[in-house]
Amino acid sequence: MIERFSSGFHPFVLPFLVGMFFVLGYCLVGIFRILAQLPREDRLKFYLSLITPKTAWKNIRDIFCDCLLHVKLWRRNRLLGYMHSSIAFGWFMIILLGHIEVILFLPERIHLFYYPIFFNYFVAETDSTIQGSLLFFLMDFFLLVILSGITLAIIKRVRSRLFGMRRTTRQSLTNQVGLYALWAIFPLRLLAESFTAHISGGSFLTIPANWVFRQFLGNDLNMLPTWWAYSIVLGVFMVVLPFSRYMHIPAEMMLIPLRNAGLKLRGARKGFARIQVLSCPSCGVCIDACPMSVSKANLKDCTVYLTRQLRRGNERRIAEISDKCLLCGKCEALCQVGVEGPELRIALRSERKYALSPAFKEVHPAAPAATGAKVLYYGGCMSQLVPSLGRSVVSILEKAGVDYQWMDRDGGICCGRPMLTAGRLEEAERIVKKNTEAILASGAEVLLVSCPICYRMFREKYTLPGVKVVHYAAYFQQLLSEGALVAERSDLCYVYHDPCELGRGCGIYEEPRRLLGQLSGIAEAPKSRQESICCGGSLGSLSLSFAQREKMTRAALDNLYASKADAIATACPLCQWTFSRYADRPVRDIAEVVDACTHGKQNNP
Amino acid sequence: MTDFGFTLSRSATVDLDRVDRSRYERLVALAPDARICMNCGSCGATCTAAPFSGMSLRKVLLGLQRGQDVRPLLDSCMLCGKCTMVCPRGINTRRLILSLSKVYD
Amino acid sequence: MKENVVIIGGGIAGMQAARELLLLGYNPMIVEQQDHLGGHVSRWHRLFPDLSSAQDLVRRLGEEISEANIFLETKVSYINRLSGGYLVMLTNGVSIPTKAILVASGFRLFDASRKEEYGYGVYDHVITNADLEAWFGGAPDSRIPSSPRSIGFVHCVGSRDLKAGNSQCSKVCCMTAVKQAIELKERFPDARVYCFYMDLRLFGKKYEDFYINAQEQWEVNFIRGRVSEVGETQDGQLQVKAEDTLVGKPLKLRLDLLVLMSGMLCNPDAAAIARMARLDVDSDGFLKSLDNLGGTTRSSRPGIFYAGACTGTKTVPEALAEARSAALDIHRYLQEA
Repeated sequence: MIERFSSGFHPFVLPFLVGMFFVLGYCLVGIFRILAQLPREDRLKFYLSLITPKTAWKNIRDIFCDCLLHVKLWRRNRLLGYMHSSIAFGWFMIILLGHIEVILFLPERIHLFYYPIFFNYFVAETDSTIQGSLLFFLMDFFLLVILSGITLAIIKRVRSRLFGMRRTTRQSLTNQVGLYALWAIFPLRLLAESFTAHISGGSFLTIPANWVFRQFLGNDLNMLPTWWAYSIVLGVFMVVLPFSRYMHIPAEMMLIPLRNAGLKLRGARKGFARIQVLSCPSCGVCIDACPMSVSKANLKDCTVYLTRQLRRGNERRIAEISDKCLLCGKCEALCQVGVEGPELRIALRSERKYALSPAFKEVHPAAPAATGAKVLYYGGCMSQLVPSLGRSVVSILEKAGVDYQWMDRDGGICCGRPMLTAGRLEEAERIVKKNTEAILASGAEVLLVSCPICYRMFREKYTLPGVKVVHYAAYFQQLLSEGALVAERSDLCYVYHDPCELGRGCGIYEEPRRLLGQLSGIAEAPKSRQESICCGGSLGSLSLSFAQREKMTRAALDNLYASKADAIATACPLCQWTFSRYADRPVRDIAEVVDACTHGKQNNP
Repeated sequence: MTDFGFTLSRSATVDLDRVDRSRYERLVALAPDARICMNCGSCGATCTAAPFSGMSLRKVLLGLQRGQDVRPLLDSCMLCGKCTMVCPRGINTRRLILSLSKVYD
Repeated sequence: MKENVVIIGGGIAGMQAARELLLLGYNPMIVEQQDHLGGHVSRWHRLFPDLSSAQDLVRRLGEEISEANIFLETKVSYINRLSGGYLVMLTNGVSIPTKAILVASGFRLFDASRKEEYGYGVYDHVITNADLEAWFGGAPDSRIPSSPRSIGFVHCVGSRDLKAGNSQCSKVCCMTAVKQAIELKERFPDARVYCFYMDLRLFGKKYEDFYINAQEQWEVNFIRGRVSEVGETQDGQLQVKAEDTLVGKPLKLRLDLLVLMSGMLCNPDAAAIARMARLDVDSDGFLKSLDNLGGTTRSSRPGIFYAGACTGTKTVPEALAEARSAALDIHRYLQEA
């Protein structure tokens, strides 16, 4: 292997160099700005995590698995997984192999950034070694892998349905420039290397291509323009990168360590939030995931458009998008990079300034009487609009001989989550305080909660020393296994609807199913668990009209009907209330099912 | 001021010609569905805060149209959304309340 | 040969129209899915404003149409367009060629259990207006206590309610509630009776007299406020919550019996007929008349006519009058054809 040019330089590398220094400089400045925006304690936490071996190792592993191999995407959609990892990992390997080539053959040139990229232009092959042909083989192999990925990407642009995506994002101009540049990079590299292969050497891809071209081209005049073109598209790609969705490549590498450091979103504009916004690859998985997508009018209100508007600073649209969302969390659950769509929106809502801030001077929840009951049942506001729920819970507790007290039978106060999701964090705090005092005054040891909205709030935002917050599904399961309740199986088959706040919100998917499975037949809807479709009744949305919600409810019901079950079971009074309006079959809370299918230990039916 | 031996008591009449409706009009601009309330009282009946403070969105809307200060009522709203659910006209009451907090400044 | 006229629905409108068509010399054929004629009225006890017997009305109409062809427990399976008429296929295998069809498919009562917050089917003492009427007619009902001390009526259940899918006023429920309140007071003179209303719409002949009578003689309490939820006290008694909008305060009240005034929706079978005959459905869910002034009995299709509650809520006299009017429209149509 010898150098063809003693200077080791040719002007065609300039576009590449400009692009690379620009993007490196941009990212470096970006990293410092993000770090400066972090609150002091978060920054310290981050630094500490970088030197903690466990998190440091996790960072490397996560970056490798998520950014290069796209493991999460593979699990979800193999075709999309292959497409992304072939390009990302293939490109990474080509850069890595390029460096190895330089280190092996021309170690004195390793300080030149462009050498590993344009290696084949600068060298001539004198003798072939096993090392060299292996490297060349690998180079061609990974180039082929990338080209297959690019081919898939082009097909996906034209026919996204083949990839299981009904809708994809409409791309902005910079994104399109970036996209076409990215598509052009690798075919141009193949051409460039092929034209040079009789000088620099090559492998199974480049040598035959070189032979074919030489059959009718007869000279090397195509060589230099192709290397120029290759360098120019690389330069173009890197220059538009910070202004396009491809910014997600460097941003995600920053997001992973920040997340692994245990940082939480504070605000929606700066620091950790900013990195999340930049990490959005604009892939559009959230468009199909979003329950609002059943209406064409709401297609542009899912998270991918929120991150886009946040980057553009379009405040009118930011407000619109953040208000409309149901906060069902499906976009977050399916997001490949972990953009927290609902939390970003709550943070945006909390930026609003309101002249009135309720102090709740008149609101005093009646403290539950100190009856000595160990179990305190908190039904929540919705239990008053869905009387069947409270009645069933009470009936079960009585059958099982539990000493309980219903805290808000005659009306209590709200758990505070609706106030929180409206972005009024301090006001929510005030409500939490009022409830905390009342609960602690009761002397109960178990706070039994049936509403998933309240349950999530109690878990996340309340500090109740000495009181265990228990979800009723787990509690009824316990009563059954202890023998306080005896099951009588019913012949009905239920399909279980995962409420957003319970499933994606609290990670409880299996307990209600196990409970139902013991008492009746159980079927699965095509979309369930993480992918369960919001009933449309969520209080998360501040602006959706009743008519728009109806469409979502019907779409969610269609998904449940597809299971062909006799009835629908859920574990959320709001879902039940919403579904009951339109459902063609009974909608029951799991408590109703438990009540109907059990009897107490003493009294046989 | 001269003491005439008597004072003028405030009229108990709502003088609609003089009532300041500007706040109501600003509210309607932000949340147009405020106009379709039919005063059925469902919101006030179901309101979580009503037993403590007599809060009723119906009263708030009507009070605003009659030029009254409705801020004391709003001080107890927990935004729990029950009124949204029971409103037979499908008014987005939570947005209404958030908008109300904007017209008072 | 007498000309056939197919009447879809054997409620009072269909029966009245058959009577007129017989008199005009046609051969009316009633298709009724129940095993008896008379529809909702046959299950009602007494009718306002004269408190006359609903059974008598149905019996009298039945006697007057004894010569008509009546297919009970039968539905229309499809309607084919022929030149200048239709071929109506029935589920019993009969097919009838006809030049004119009268749709009198009537209404359906709103299913009160869809308003979860009222606890119909959940609480022991919550019934509907139809349940109460059946009890007046002699059917036993364990939900009605033997000596209730307080009874509530909720107006507008499934009417004027976007959430229940019907934003229209069902117009007869206010009067029915006043009538039923009086009838309950007749049976339980010691009970206190409360009517929870949004607006009292007592528009017809003698209705206001009923209202005055209910206040003066029977001391029925009228509370202006829509019930928003029904709960149960610790000792198992019903408790309703409303806002007394005239006082401006939330109100709660314990009750021994709660009657829900279920509203009127279009019969869902009318939608199937509309599909078969390519008829228009109006935004309120009822069938769409040619216009809502002089053309209420006419559809946009030649030879297809309407009578009764299939085009909107009707009182009994309105349904009967419309049936007579439809019969005349059909007569003129067949004469011209």
